[in-house]
Amino acid sequence: MIGIGNTLSGSRRVERRRSVQQVGVFAIIAAFPLAARGQETAAYFKQNCYSCHTIGGGRLVGPDLKDVTSRKDRDWIVRFILNPQAMIDRGDPYATRILGEARGVVMPPVAGLSRDRANQILDMIEAESAFEKSQFEGVKFSDRPFTAADVDRGHALFTGRAKFKNSGPPCMSCHTVRGLTLLGGGRLGVDLTKVSERIGGRKPLSAWLVSPATVTMQPVFAKHPLEAEEILPLVAYFEHSAKQAGDDDSVAPLTFFLVGLAGMVLMLGLFDVVWKNRFRGVRRPLVAGGEMRTSV
Amino acid sequence: MNVRSQVSMVFHLDKCIGCHTCSIACKNIWTDRKGTDYMWWNNVETKPGTGFPTQWEDQDKYKGGWEKKNGSINLKSTDKKRIALNIFHNPHMPSMDDYYEPWTYDYQNLFTAKEGPDQPTAVPISKVTGEQINVESGPNWDDDLGGSPIYAANDPNLDGLSEDQKAQLQAIERLVFFYFPRICNHCLNPACVASCPSGALYKRGEDGIVLIDQKKCRAWRSCVSACPYKKTYFNWFTGKSEKCILCFPRVETGQAPACFHSCVGRIRYLGVLLYDADRIEEVCNLPDEELIEGHRSLILDPNDPEVIKAAKRNGIPDAVVDSAQQSPIYKFVIDWRIALPPHIEYRTMPMLYYVPPMSPVMSVRNEDTIEHVSDNLFHDIDEARIPMKFLANLFGGGHEAKVVYALRKQKAIRWYRRALTVGDVTMETAKQMLNEADCTVDEAEAIYRLTSLCTFEERFVIPPSHREEAIEMSQDPHERRQSTGFGFLAGPRRGL
Repeated sequence: MIGIGNTLSGSRRVERRRSVQQVGVFAIIAAFPLAARGQETAAYFKQNCYSCHTIGGGRLVGPDLKDVTSRKDRDWIVRFILNPQAMIDRGDPYATRILGEARGVVMPPVAGLSRDRANQILDMIEAESAFEKSQFEGVKFSDRPFTAADVDRGHALFTGRAKFKNSGPPCMSCHTVRGLTLLGGGRLGVDLTKVSERIGGRKPLSAWLVSPATVTMQPVFAKHPLEAEEILPLVAYFEHSAKQAGDDDSVAPLTFFLVGLAGMVLMLGLFDVVWKNRFRGVRRPLVAGGEMRTSV
Repeated sequence: MNVRSQVSMVFHLDKCIGCHTCSIACKNIWTDRKGTDYMWWNNVETKPGTGFPTQWEDQDKYKGGWEKKNGSINLKSTDKKRIALNIFHNPHMPSMDDYYEPWTYDYQNLFTAKEGPDQPTAVPISKVTGEQINVESGPNWDDDLGGSPIYAANDPNLDGLSEDQKAQLQAIERLVFFYFPRICNHCLNPACVASCPSGALYKRGEDGIVLIDQKKCRAWRSCVSACPYKKTYFNWFTGKSEKCILCFPRVETGQAPACFHSCVGRIRYLGVLLYDADRIEEVCNLPDEELIEGHRSLILDPNDPEVIKAAKRNGIPDAVVDSAQQSPIYKFVIDWRIALPPHIEYRTMPMLYYVPPMSPVMSVRNEDTIEHVSDNLFHDIDEARIPMKFLANLFGGGHEAKVVYALRKQKAIRWYRRALTVGDVTMETAKQMLNEADCTVDEAEAIYRLTSLCTFEERFVIPPSHREEAIEMSQDPHERRQSTGFGFLAGPRRGL
């Protein structure tokens, strides 16, 4: 960031010079970082925003951002994207409204976001909104109906029986889906049983999986992104699991507890057998035996 | 021949009065720190009795010492395979209850108690929980046969005695006991050293004192279960194991260890023995009945020129060889053969020897007179109130011959001195007894002198420790001399 700032102020100073030759030479040099900045902002948007937002492609989890700057003033938007939760907590009416539209999914805080960066993004959104067809219109996914084979493959990918092509970790290491196995999957991430309903269906979920934007998942999947042919079966599996689970919303930790309890009893029993010749104390049994003998 | 020197000890049980002064001296110097409440590096047990910790001699339960298996000796408590299985749990650890729950008294209550119909008392308070406890056990709970139907009757050394003999031991007016003071035996084949997974235990090269490196100890407590004499203890506060250090700071400065120094009955002797380290393994593998003789054969004659030459070759200072030549231990163990190792069958080759105790004098009632003399001069050994098998289990590895030999010699010397000073026994009888007990007049005089009239210097022949030479192995002695004493326990050092 500092580097870019320096180049910018440098280029402005240079432009003031009237030497035609110099202007020509330096304009090329100066334009380079400007172009680089634009590319960088686009990449940042793709990485952090694109999984929930499109520009002119319709709503995903979050709203379509086409002409967002005309819907609400810039200052409000910047404040919101810097700390969405704070705005909601404060009871801002507009923030509450868009939270409702997103079915209660709060926009996660974005890594590496600053006021400058937010303004650059908004600049870019303004520019892209002007086009009839933005480059951020949304990823195109096949909308063929899911088959049972898709669900099976999704299940395999989720549990790790089938590996992701870019060697991302299987979902199950952090997430669980009801009815997965006896003990379920990981509890580190959220329960994904109803994720397709929560995020709003096939399209937003697919977009979300292109580059998962949460603080925990982003660093993991930035280097190991999912492929389109992997996203489809996963979404199929999530839709299937949401249907399977029905209306029951409760997680069932009782199974986990009971399996744990049974395991513990089994292990303790095993320990008792393995160490059956262990030292169990001498004095107390001796005294107890002695007292019995003297009282007889 | 690989000559080493060993500071060794003899406890003359016939002189022990069971006053526990040794235990208190040791406690006050070494184990009054936090976490050491229950430790008694020196303790005095009543025999018959179960000792401390309770029934420590029962190795079927405690798994201490070595056992002979498949032609070689193995630790009873652990081996390479078992240590992996038991890495988080040592299954042969005595519990606090087998020692005792340390306690103090609520002395404040004596001052602050409300006025009542009776005197206030200082109630016992557990040093573990801080709450009032009903004291159930202590370090010498069965002292002087206290609780004998429980404790004395369950002495592991009673194994092999007939029911009749056991009943006799308990009979009113025939009760008999002796004291058995114990410290670390500083063994030649220490099970504690062998068992330590961290290599924290070692036997000092220059004097054979067995120590635990407090910086290396990792609280595995393998030594606690491996030591058959239960003389290593775990300090719960420092998380390190501790044991008798034979007061090495005192020994190094020419003083006897505290328990030796304070001994009221003057039962303790200390001196250097030279031994052949190459033969330890061979001797440890001997059958039970040959162990005592084998153990003795390890000890080398300090006057033998070959031994002196080999000692020099091994870097043993001349002054230590001189000291070995004066050693009272050599006399008791080798010359006179009346001092015996405790429980040699544990095969740790203990270097603390005991002169077995005489039983009370036996008398025969003839009408109105009480006779102490019978045709069988040694009748009160053969018919002693303490069955010979019991002493043999303790000091003879289960075999009576060596114990009988030591007791007969002592008895013969008593009668020889009696012929000299009292005169109710003829010198002829006395000499006949000496003869039968394999003792000459000179030897009898020497034993009598070292037993009864021994001076401080005769009891404790402490070798110069030549610390400067021991230091040489790791540090320049001049530099050490100049830098020692500044700083705390470890000298100041650059870095963290």
